[in-house]
Amino acid sequence: VNPFVPLARALAARSVRFVLIGVAGANQYALGGSDSFVTQDQDLFLPPDPDNLVRAWAACEDAGVELWLQEEPLDRPRDRWLAERIIERRALTRATGPEQFLVDLTLVMQGFDFERVWAERRVFAIEGVELPVARLLHIVESKRAAGRLKDSLFLATHKDALEQLLKRQE
Amino acid sequence: MDQELERVLRGLEEAAEFARTYRFEITPDYVALIERVEAMPRNQPGADKAHVWQRDRTFKAAFTNVTYLGPPR
Repeated sequence: VNPFVPLARALAARSVRFVLIGVAGANQYALGGSDSFVTQDQDLFLPPDPDNLVRAWAACEDAGVELWLQEEPLDRPRDRWLAERIIERRALTRATGPEQFLVDLTLVMQGFDFERVWAERRVFAIEGVELPVARLLHIVESKRAAGRLKDSLFLATHKDALEQLLKRQE
Repeated sequence: MDQELERVLRGLEEAAEFARTYRFEITPDYVALIERVEAMPRNQPGADKAHVWQRDRTFKAAFTNVTYLGPPR
């Protein structure tokens, strides 16, 4: 069983708005292993909406994964007051579970606001559960905006991978 | 200083400088590639992506038990 599926199902059940971004998001558009990239975690981009964040935390609990803020377990009660403080700081909460399960709930996507990404999201499916994913173009542009060396290297490799993928398709 | 060592150190300095300043630019041909990939039938809304996650898990599992045996003899 894909360990992400119970979380995706719980997020959908609680009507949490999120989009998968980052390398894991880019991988959804890959057709094979040669155009996929290894990543340790999945980044879920959430809007700066405290009620949505509270629902996201509750969904994580429903799915049996643990929540962390930096190196500490996320405080309780996991309520609107706490969500507002987290949003003020644009802090990241992390969900962890068995089998190296690691999901980051992020409120930041470099160069983008949530509504723009949400409006153009692509909804895929995994094991019958809806999976909202950011446009590949948005993921790439965000990595360019982040401007870290690892992002630049990813982009250079990614472009090459897409070229190879399309050549194979021709 | 040994000339070979000097050459290696200079190469490392150049690599470090490259890492500090390298910035990948998104060109129109890259955008065109992305749009072609987004337009593929397998990337349309509703497409099942279970295989992507399975591939990722298989890859990671394959490397979970890798142990370093030391330099080649």
